[in-house]
Amino acid sequence: MKQVGKKSTKIFDIRYLCIVLAALYVLLAIAFYFLAGAQLHYRESRSNIDMLPAESGTIELVDGTRVEQVFTTRIERLKTISIQWGAFYRTNAGTATVNLYDQESGTLLLSSTYDVSSFGEGTITDLTVDTPLEGLVGKPLLLQILADSAAGSAATPLISSSAEAQDGFALYLNGEQAPGQLCFSASGEDYIWTGLHYWQFIAGFGLALGTYLLWVYYRWKHGKYSVLAAALSAVRKYKFLIKQLVSRDFKAKYKRSILGVFWSFLNPLLNMLVQYVVFSNMFRFNIPNFPVYLLCGNVMFNYFSESCGMSLQSIVGNAGLITKVYMPKYIYPLTRTLSTLINLVISMIPLLAVALLTGLRPTKAYLLVGFVLACIAIFCLGMGMLLSAAMVFFRDIQFLWGVLTTIWMYLTPIFYPADLLPESIAWVLKLNPLYYFITFLRTCIMDGVSPEPVMYVQCFLISMVMLAVGALVFKKNQDKFVLYL
Amino acid sequence: MSEQTKMIEIQNVSMRFRLTDDKIMSLKEFVTRKLSGKLKTTEFWALKHVSFDVHKGEVIGIIGKNGSGKSTLLKVIAGILKPTEGSVACAGNIVPMLELGSGFDMDLTGRENIYLNGAILGYSEEFLNSKYEEILAFSELGQFINVPIRNYSSGMMMRLAFSVATVVNPQILIVDEILAVGDAAFQEKSRTRMMELMSGGTTVLFVSHSLSQIREMCSRVVWIDHGNVKMIGGTQEVCDQYQQCT
Repeated sequence: MKQVGKKSTKIFDIRYLCIVLAALYVLLAIAFYFLAGAQLHYRESRSNIDMLPAESGTIELVDGTRVEQVFTTRIERLKTISIQWGAFYRTNAGTATVNLYDQESGTLLLSSTYDVSSFGEGTITDLTVDTPLEGLVGKPLLLQILADSAAGSAATPLISSSAEAQDGFALYLNGEQAPGQLCFSASGEDYIWTGLHYWQFIAGFGLALGTYLLWVYYRWKHGKYSVLAAALSAVRKYKFLIKQLVSRDFKAKYKRSILGVFWSFLNPLLNMLVQYVVFSNMFRFNIPNFPVYLLCGNVMFNYFSESCGMSLQSIVGNAGLITKVYMPKYIYPLTRTLSTLINLVISMIPLLAVALLTGLRPTKAYLLVGFVLACIAIFCLGMGMLLSAAMVFFRDIQFLWGVLTTIWMYLTPIFYPADLLPESIAWVLKLNPLYYFITFLRTCIMDGVSPEPVMYVQCFLISMVMLAVGALVFKKNQDKFVLYL
Repeated sequence: MSEQTKMIEIQNVSMRFRLTDDKIMSLKEFVTRKLSGKLKTTEFWALKHVSFDVHKGEVIGIIGKNGSGKSTLLKVIAGILKPTEGSVACAGNIVPMLELGSGFDMDLTGRENIYLNGAILGYSEEFLNSKYEEILAFSELGQFINVPIRNYSSGMMMRLAFSVATVVNPQILIVDEILAVGDAAFQEKSRTRMMELMSGGTTVLFVSHSLSQIREMCSRVVWIDHGNVKMIGGTQEVCDQYQQCT
């Protein structure tokens, strides 16, 4: 409805809101810097060398013999070198020494000595540094293994004899080149450019935001339209209505049930318990802390399916209101999304409880969960707008959606590990928005660290694109709703 | 006219409905019909090029036969329907009294419903807080206000709805037939309240089939016939013409 006059946009002082927004930005930028911690600066290197499956032993590593592996890597901060050993199915004696040299300059980078008697068949030894080694990118490195054992009681480093030759890799046994590759792994971290340029970023975005706010303020002062001012005046105008509708939805959900709101705690717990019993007995997935893994997935997916299911009915279900009273129609899916969001926030409590019970300890990364909750809520709002608009014209959507949610659930790694999917359909995961949200939550809760910066961008973009699509479809069709109800 | 502030400006409003034999509610139905060429729509213009202005403080009566487009016009002005052509501009808040109690939730108590319904009608929280006692007193519900309204009798429900709807002094009031609800005593009370509202300086758009009410209340009358404005002018004049025609 068109309003004559500019009264409605002038009823509040936008200056105050601009200042609050700017202050909030600075505050969040600083808070994020500390909450994200090391994950803002480094990520697990994309160039880690994985251990190849062992196929045979090398030579019996007696005193004076040596096994050497030359390799190059693009790991920017090398942290760990692991080697796999064979023991000839006997108890050995003596010591084995592992050295890592920079081949060009001949400097000894790392060295460690192990007690050979502790080696079993396939034992893996880790050589870890305190301060990660930097500046080794692309340089040939020499991994040298020596021992002082006597013949008959010596161990042997394992090799993958069928490994294909790679550039910069070579295996030497007692100085003679041999085919295959030593069973070793190298891992470390890479720098992320977000960490290197974080403050420049923040300053850049801050500048853009500041300019935008000034522009909005200027437009507002001259009584002109701007999206931000319009949105703020809408929030102000409909705040009370939204509050009332949300509280109605929330009350209606648990109406006449004895336990009431308590179901918001109980539901995810019971669900998790059922799945835990089923999946830990029938299929044995090798997932550490399976209850928390399950609960993270469940909580997120349930919110998604509940919120979208509720939004789906929001226009059709409020037909009585829409044909009698004017209010912006986006309010209906919005309030449904918000009232289910309360549920999601409540179900974080059982999640936290289970996490504590299974021995996880809260870290500062737990505070980052708020980000992913906001993202999934925005995503569901977009989806809900799309569905509710479609539902008005084609009532079949409600039945289709039921089937679709089931398919979606099985395609989301809620109760199975993400890498279980066969190669051929692994790409589906990459297209599944919920996978990103759930992984984000799991990284925060289970690993206790912030996800990689790229995850934030992914989650944010996914939710914004969904909202844009949903809002566009909704806006285009909203005037026709009333004719089809 | 002493006050010339335009409150509502209706410019060349036309409203078209597409009528199909049945509403098509499923994709399958739509596709099969579309393919077999059975998707026939007849166009129906509920309003055709309606234009008039309403000034501040006026009470406009809208008369016409059943199905002439009166209620459609009210819905267009209230913003519920978007006109196919033309535009409606309103200055000030509109309270549409098209149907009482839309948005009541059966599982909430009377008290909660006052706030819910009030919010839907566009009242602010402070306003409802300050008027709560007044609404309660007018509805005569007393202790029943804390009972879920699914237990109300239909009369009680209407009394509550009426009390919420008429507690405001809106700038523009849209009334589809004067509402008189409840028992005889309450009907009298509600009629008085409506009269009070409509004569209190608010701009009113008022649809009625009772010419005597129109004559009593209105300063101008719009006669709508088959979606066209047949006549617009002083109450006496238009009502006399209308009576002659029917």
